[in-house]
Amino acid sequence: MTPPAIETSAELRARIDAAMRARTRLATRPLGETAAALAAAATAWRANAELISALPAVARLDPTMVAATLPLVAEALDADAMAALVESELGTGAITRPAPTEVALVAHVLASNVPALALPAIALACLAGAAVVVKSGRDDPLSAPAFQHALAAVDPDLAATVVTAYWPGGASELEEVLLGRADVAVLTGSEPALAALAGRVGGRVLTHGPRASVAAVGRDGLEKAERVAHAVALDVALYEQRGCLSPRAVYVESGGRLAPRDFAERLAAALAGITERLPPVSTAVEERAATRVLREGSEWTPGTTVLSGPGGTVVYDEDPSFRPTLPARSVRVHPIASLAALPALLPAGHIECLGLAARDPCDLVPALRERGVSRLCPVGRMQRPPLAWPRGQHAPLAALLGHSGALRCTVET
Amino acid sequence: MTDALPLEAELTAAIDAVAVGGASLDFETWALRIFAHQFERNEPYRTACERRGVTPAVVARWEDVPPVPTAAFRHHELTCGPPEVVFRTSGTTAGPAARGAHLVPHLDLYRASALAAFREFVLPDGARPSCLFLVPAPVLRPDSSLVRMCAWVGEALGAGHDWFVGEGGLEIERLLQQLGERAERGETVLVAGPTAAFADLFDACRARGRALRLGPGSRVMDTGGAKGLRRPLSRAGFFRECWTHLGVAGYSCVNEYGMTELCSQRYDSALVDRFRGRNLAPRRLLAPPWLRTRVLDPDTLEPVPPGATGLLCHHDLANAGSVSVVLTEDLGRTVGDDGIEVVGRVAGAMPRGCGLLLAEGAPG
Repeated sequence: MTPPAIETSAELRARIDAAMRARTRLATRPLGETAAALAAAATAWRANAELISALPAVARLDPTMVAATLPLVAEALDADAMAALVESELGTGAITRPAPTEVALVAHVLASNVPALALPAIALACLAGAAVVVKSGRDDPLSAPAFQHALAAVDPDLAATVVTAYWPGGASELEEVLLGRADVAVLTGSEPALAALAGRVGGRVLTHGPRASVAAVGRDGLEKAERVAHAVALDVALYEQRGCLSPRAVYVESGGRLAPRDFAERLAAALAGITERLPPVSTAVEERAATRVLREGSEWTPGTTVLSGPGGTVVYDEDPSFRPTLPARSVRVHPIASLAALPALLPAGHIECLGLAARDPCDLVPALRERGVSRLCPVGRMQRPPLAWPRGQHAPLAALLGHSGALRCTVET
Repeated sequence: MTDALPLEAELTAAIDAVAVGGASLDFETWALRIFAHQFERNEPYRTACERRGVTPAVVARWEDVPPVPTAAFRHHELTCGPPEVVFRTSGTTAGPAARGAHLVPHLDLYRASALAAFREFVLPDGARPSCLFLVPAPVLRPDSSLVRMCAWVGEALGAGHDWFVGEGGLEIERLLQQLGERAERGETVLVAGPTAAFADLFDACRARGRALRLGPGSRVMDTGGAKGLRRPLSRAGFFRECWTHLGVAGYSCVNEYGMTELCSQRYDSALVDRFRGRNLAPRRLLAPPWLRTRVLDPDTLEPVPPGATGLLCHHDLANAGSVSVVLTEDLGRTVGDDGIEVVGRVAGAMPRGCGLLLAEGAPG
């Protein structure tokens, strides 16, 4: 399976022109048809045997991980959820009307820390009524063309508005064309990568830099400690913890049925259990060294206990300050007197999602919104973001369309 | 505690003897003696060893002496006796509390080790250069092991020395003036400091259109690598700029690899190889005979095959007063049968190193 090659700026320019012409042919089509086509394509995409076979090698993930995560990506493109998103952001009845017209071309430059970022990128651009160019990241040049192929099978007219491409970062002529022509460029990646690209964008620019997530377990959540530990372990293990929705710390309320340290042990056991279903991928020496450094350093840090095994590394750490772990399948567990104290512990602007095992999170929302958190969800669902996820606290369609709005922090139940 | 000094004094004498070409040093015998010494006197280290079931009675090889990670120096006083000096690691982002502290109870041992290795690898021709140090003076940074080493070098091995980092950072105008005067006189000069300071010096030369030609035998010693660099500077680029701006050829540029937690350093092989007629040998970091480095598999802590990448673990006999075996956060590989190459740093490892001496400025 090879991604489509775009080797010259002239070729890219021609592909963009064709996509924009195709967009004009959809001017009268109701958005509901677009949502239905995207949903059908996602269903076909997740069953693409060639993709399932080829993706593990390029994405550096175990085949079991790819098999487990592709459905999570596809389910976000549910027709009803897309209709709800459109109605919520564009107004009642919007799903029966044609797409907005104010943005003609969206460019997505994707990171590839986790695979298949192209699907929500394409879907949101289509729902915003734009032609879209998706420049994939190095570790997943396959998902985007596979999705476009699936879309072409169910709706060739819509698929014609989508350009998928891959080139190594730094191909400046191609980047100039892409960034110069887009009305909106959505850039995802490391801070240096974003800095290198953002200044060259001709239109508006939206950036998504590195962020992390945390989980929290309230006293009531500890009533079902085994189930909660398994759910958190799944959130940690999925995508080998490479994404911004992966928890790097778990805050556990003291005074519950289980002490926070005991919960840490349950979590370590749950991580070990998950390896049977989702075996860790063999990692490069740099990552294995990071694991060793975390474990050895924590052994010598007062107030910490290392609970490590084949499933990963859990560091029980009495110091509640947020210090994200780096190696795959590693997490700190901190005791906390009350979940009410959690928002103040989180570094402003660095936490994307809070996975929660507690009865009523609503009291936390204003303070979490203030800290930049965009999403609260039950533990076990952190890696299943809906298309409506207000990444970076921005409503996804409004952000593409340039509509300003209040910073968002959504609560999923 | 009263017999702590004799072992360290004895080792100091042994290093001095090796340095002047005397008797060789039996590494393993010393390693086992020192481990017993540290196990007896260094309480946090002993506790950690006992937790692993390791005592001097069961350690028969130097490779089996348990290491401590550099992180341990951030949380524990790992010393075998009252320190004469406390050296602290540099670092800007994590704050002073996250700095490691190396408590050195016998400064003479550090001095002996540092000077002997410097003489061997930086001054193998016996030169006595005029020393220009791109670091703060000891009065400004008494807790910097690099600054202390430079002071000893300047006093014992140099023909005069001066410091060019003040409270406001690198004093570039004064440095350029001093370099220019020495170049005009054709003096042999040693310019030593963090790689980041050299990058600033090169930028200043470029901005002013200065191209100095330092006198014959002049040399450069840089340390710290990419830490604190304001712009990317490859090793080849560093050599090129040393030639362009200072007139110092690449073979006279010696990189130092040292750590606050160690009393011994490794040095680039270029200069010593040249003086020993081994011009074609690959560049590598060489160590004095009392420092050995193992490259370990991160999973097993067993040595990796020659040339493979792993975590660097140093066994420094000159650390007799603290802990001799230090597991670093550096990745490296062996080169040949006597050298190593540092290939990087573990992702997310704490920023540290003398390259940050400039970024921190000098405390008042």
